[in-house]
Amino acid sequence: MSAPGDSADIAVLGGGPGGYVAALRAAQLGARVILVEKDRVGGTCLNVGCIPTKALLTSAELLLRAKRGSEFGLAIPQVSVDLPALMACKRKTVDQLVGGVEQLLKARRVTLVRGAGRIIRPDTLSVDDGQGGVREYSAQRIILAPGSVTATPPIAGSDLPGVITSTGALDIDTVPARLVIVGGGVIGLEFACIYEALGSKVTVLEMTPAILPGATDEAIAKRLHSLLRRRGLDVQTNAVVQRIERNGEMLRVFAGAAGAETTTECDRVLIATGRWPNTQGMGFAELGLRMNGRAIAVDERLATNLPNVWAIGDAIGGWMLAHKAMVDGRVAAENATGGQRQVDYRSVPSVIFTRPEVASVGLTESQARAAGVPIKVTQFPFSANPRARIFGETDGLVRLICEAGSGRILGVHMLGLHVTDLIAEGALAVQTGATADNLAWTTHAHPTLPEAMLEAALGFSGGALHIHAQ
Amino acid sequence: MPEYLETTVDKFTFRVAKDRLYTAKGVWVFWMQPEAPNRVRIGLTDYLQQRSGDVAFASVQPVGTKVLAGEKLADVETIKAMVELPSPVSGTVVEVNPALDTTPELINQDPYDKGWLAVIETASWDTERATLLEPEAYFKVMEAEAKEEAKKL
Repeated sequence: MSAPGDSADIAVLGGGPGGYVAALRAAQLGARVILVEKDRVGGTCLNVGCIPTKALLTSAELLLRAKRGSEFGLAIPQVSVDLPALMACKRKTVDQLVGGVEQLLKARRVTLVRGAGRIIRPDTLSVDDGQGGVREYSAQRIILAPGSVTATPPIAGSDLPGVITSTGALDIDTVPARLVIVGGGVIGLEFACIYEALGSKVTVLEMTPAILPGATDEAIAKRLHSLLRRRGLDVQTNAVVQRIERNGEMLRVFAGAAGAETTTECDRVLIATGRWPNTQGMGFAELGLRMNGRAIAVDERLATNLPNVWAIGDAIGGWMLAHKAMVDGRVAAENATGGQRQVDYRSVPSVIFTRPEVASVGLTESQARAAGVPIKVTQFPFSANPRARIFGETDGLVRLICEAGSGRILGVHMLGLHVTDLIAEGALAVQTGATADNLAWTTHAHPTLPEAMLEAALGFSGGALHIHAQ
Repeated sequence: MPEYLETTVDKFTFRVAKDRLYTAKGVWVFWMQPEAPNRVRIGLTDYLQQRSGDVAFASVQPVGTKVLAGEKLADVETIKAMVELPSPVSGTVVEVNPALDTTPELINQDPYDKGWLAVIETASWDTERATLLEPEAYFKVMEAEAKEEAKKL
């Protein structure tokens, strides 16, 4: 049975940042679009990822700055966390943004279908509304955007009460006195900084030899590790968690090789070992959708092996970043409406909201060296940047990976205050093939943090002005 | 405890340990004989650390790195300068001071002992040691430079 609205030009499966952007873009290009989402629009990012973590982090940073009031000539006698109010504040921000996306979809006349979708033919989705109703929707083209799910490593005891994932860590009624975080990647370290600020004694156990594996330049990761340890965060590397046990009110985390095991006692354990493409239970295997491990295999136009079916975002693997999914969404929407656009990931920045923040775009030093590109690395510390000094946040630096000779910017890596904003300039430089000289002759306003970019660029030819190189 | 040569220039006192060799750039080289006759421990002189300022980060080439004399051994970042330290000798980095990761200020507090940077397994110590300065010779170079710097202020 088919009622009006049950067919469309394009159906998008999944309303996260990739899916809703694909729906908006396709509608903008004139297509009639159906967007199928089982939960709230905005996906992991908006509901249980980027946005709520940043809401908590913003409150945590305000708390820490308020505690430093006297350094800035302010008498703030007492400042403390009101946890229910903090959770409410986070929810309000999330709700406003979810509402905003719903409004946009409505304004573009995208039909939002609520329920769990499956692809049953290359031109048909069936949607289960969770209340016994299953309905089919046909579309000439389908964009798969099912996102990702929390990866669950095979650690004995990870199902014990008190062992939580990032979703659970976002909604708490008490701050644990002692928290162990399994995983020293982006998610683990962001939560480490949030809970540290809220007053937990935090231990991070990372199984690889370095924190932030694969997420940024090694020199930046190493420096962040030093900074975290200097302020008392226990961040251990080469720490492979073997099992978790409960002992009365307490949890015990065992890490390391047999015989040389370490035990950490705590009140909560947060499993933050990354995310996997969400590709199960949606009919992909039954239809013969080609996979690449857990991820959906796509070509450079994001087309799958099925005719008129594209796939985007976390589900296709690679960078699991909301902004990369949004780019995918735009590319797929254009191709599903007759375009011929290829994805271009050269300037996808990676941003990590630790304290201080980390941001990267382009090649790391070791990637450039492995590729055999002759490079020159130039860097500038925020300790010599006036705006950072005014903020009282001078930890960190800007590193530019430049092609030797030409000075072309191949990579930009930063650690420091607000570098997640500053990286936009780096992304533009990498995308447009700008040189250190181009950056150095772009006037940067004074006194601002981006001046550190200018100074690092000046350093390419030995000319940094506000630092003395000996 | 080593004995020191000492000079005071414009209120600042600089010491030179008498039990090791130096480069004119302000890097000391301590020959670890008799325990390890092929190894040297390396660090910044008292003068170089004072002139560079409070150390915020010291990043030394990792263990296993082969360096030639004159090639970069470490970057020392202070609140006012980036100091690139050339290796005084050729060889392989076999130890990096682990304490510098969390307490780089040791370079300022104890430049000749706890603030050491690295240990190098030397490749041509017999010839290269002749290129280094005896304490008295470095002391003169350092004192002249300190006086020159004091005039600029």
